[in-house]
Amino acid sequence: MKIDDAENGQSFLDVSDLEPPEPLVRVLARIDSLESGQYLHVRHHREPCLLYPNLEKRGFDYLSCGNDAYFHIFIWRKDDAEAERAVRAAIGELCQG
Amino acid sequence: MKVTALSLEQTPPLSVPLRFFLTAPVFVVAAAIVLLWHGHAALDSRWTPPLLAATHFLTLGFLTMIMAGAIQQLLPVLMASPVPRPRLTSAVIHLALTLGTLSLGAGMLTGKGGLFLGALVVLGAGLIFFVLMVMFCLFQARSSHATVFVMGLAVIALLVTAGLGILLAAGHGLNSVPLFRTLTDLHLLWGMLGWVGLLVIGVAYQVVPMFQLTPNYPGLLMRWLPRILFAGLSIWGMGLLFPEERKWLQWIGGGGVVGSFAAFSFMTLRLQQQRRRRLSDINIDFWRLALVCLLAAMGLWTAQGFLQLPQTELLLGVLLVAGFAMSVVSGMLYKIVPFLVWLHLNNYMQATGRWGEQIPNMKQILPSQRSRLQFWLQFSALLLLLLAAVWPGPFIRPAALTMLAAFSLLWWNLLDGLRLYYRYIGAGEEG
Repeated sequence: MKIDDAENGQSFLDVSDLEPPEPLVRVLARIDSLESGQYLHVRHHREPCLLYPNLEKRGFDYLSCGNDAYFHIFIWRKDDAEAERAVRAAIGELCQG
Repeated sequence: MKVTALSLEQTPPLSVPLRFFLTAPVFVVAAAIVLLWHGHAALDSRWTPPLLAATHFLTLGFLTMIMAGAIQQLLPVLMASPVPRPRLTSAVIHLALTLGTLSLGAGMLTGKGGLFLGALVVLGAGLIFFVLMVMFCLFQARSSHATVFVMGLAVIALLVTAGLGILLAAGHGLNSVPLFRTLTDLHLLWGMLGWVGLLVIGVAYQVVPMFQLTPNYPGLLMRWLPRILFAGLSIWGMGLLFPEERKWLQWIGGGGVVGSFAAFSFMTLRLQQQRRRRLSDINIDFWRLALVCLLAAMGLWTAQGFLQLPQTELLLGVLLVAGFAMSVVSGMLYKIVPFLVWLHLNNYMQATGRWGEQIPNMKQILPSQRSRLQFWLQFSALLLLLLAAVWPGPFIRPAALTMLAAFSLLWWNLLDGLRLYYRYIGAGEEG
């Protein structure tokens, strides 16, 4: 697992080599520290369906996309327009729209 | 880009799968007691009443019991198709399987026709209800994963197995119905290689990459292997029904079946070689044991003409039931049960707003040391059963005793995981 913190408002968490439910545990442990304008970029080996309702209940929003090798999930606090703009720019580059 | 999320509410209550998982090991203990009681006489032939009773305790009471529970968990979570009224549905299926298997085993041990008739009605109705429920949910499934199709084939195989079983039980229980012993091989074929084999393959497509962190199975294999296997079983089955054409139908059908299982085994072992984390894991050990037994069974079936071993049928039975199927199922229980306990604790904390609280991890829910001890006991029981198939006299009672110990410990391990769940829930409610 790698973590690159606070680079252009982005945190990165690679959970692609963890077995369930560790990816969910690690992501939930990380999102509480997200500040205004920041988002968390998670790299996973599959689509984490159980994560989404957990995020919604805790007041976070997300976008996800898959490319050939990985699934990417971008998470930010609901109503944080600045973080959402940054996510949309980042996800467009990563998964081509 | 946002996909439809699975709802946490779609996870069935913990009691739905666990009632099956916690009942199943008790049936293995019952099978072990039957073998202990009757000793080597149980293995005089494949038709002895104690062997028939013990076999059905293992295949219906353990394997089908767990598979029925697991399917009711998988349908909503992996296929986004919730079972209607899950508590009631699971209670009905569980009761029918438990009472029906007990009645069938007791009928085989005592020879009383009334018990066969009871089993025929209860098990027949329960299994048909289960198959219809699974079919209904598979038609509703929003997932297009290959597992949906394979699970459909598996429950068709279960329906064929149950239909043949009903005919055989009626032959035992009703004087007006003749007992067609030739149907037994067909019943065995569709039960072990169809229902159990297909379901293991379909579930492996999802759980092997997910829990063992391997690459996915190749798409072509996922698509064609179950089709070839099902066609092989159908051709082989026809060979059993038409004795004049038996030989070539059996070789073509059997070839398809053996080839499919061999391809599945080698592919799974290869994927496990490529897993992203190479940590020691009891689940992988159980899977490897199971796949080696499956390959050994396929090899033995292919070579039986040259080997001419009188014990081939018993050895095949031990390799497929105790070696392959029971090992896979035990291995999966060590992943699924702690995961479900964790998931339901997480959901409970979520629902009560206690997000900050620590919940136990998978290793704390089922400690590895106790799982490993159970693995070695189950492995020893398998070796002793194989020896007992050849030399029943000295080995059948040690085999039964070891099996009893192994599955008592499995039951205790699973129960301990559930007790931990209730301890946390209880502590939360007191606090």
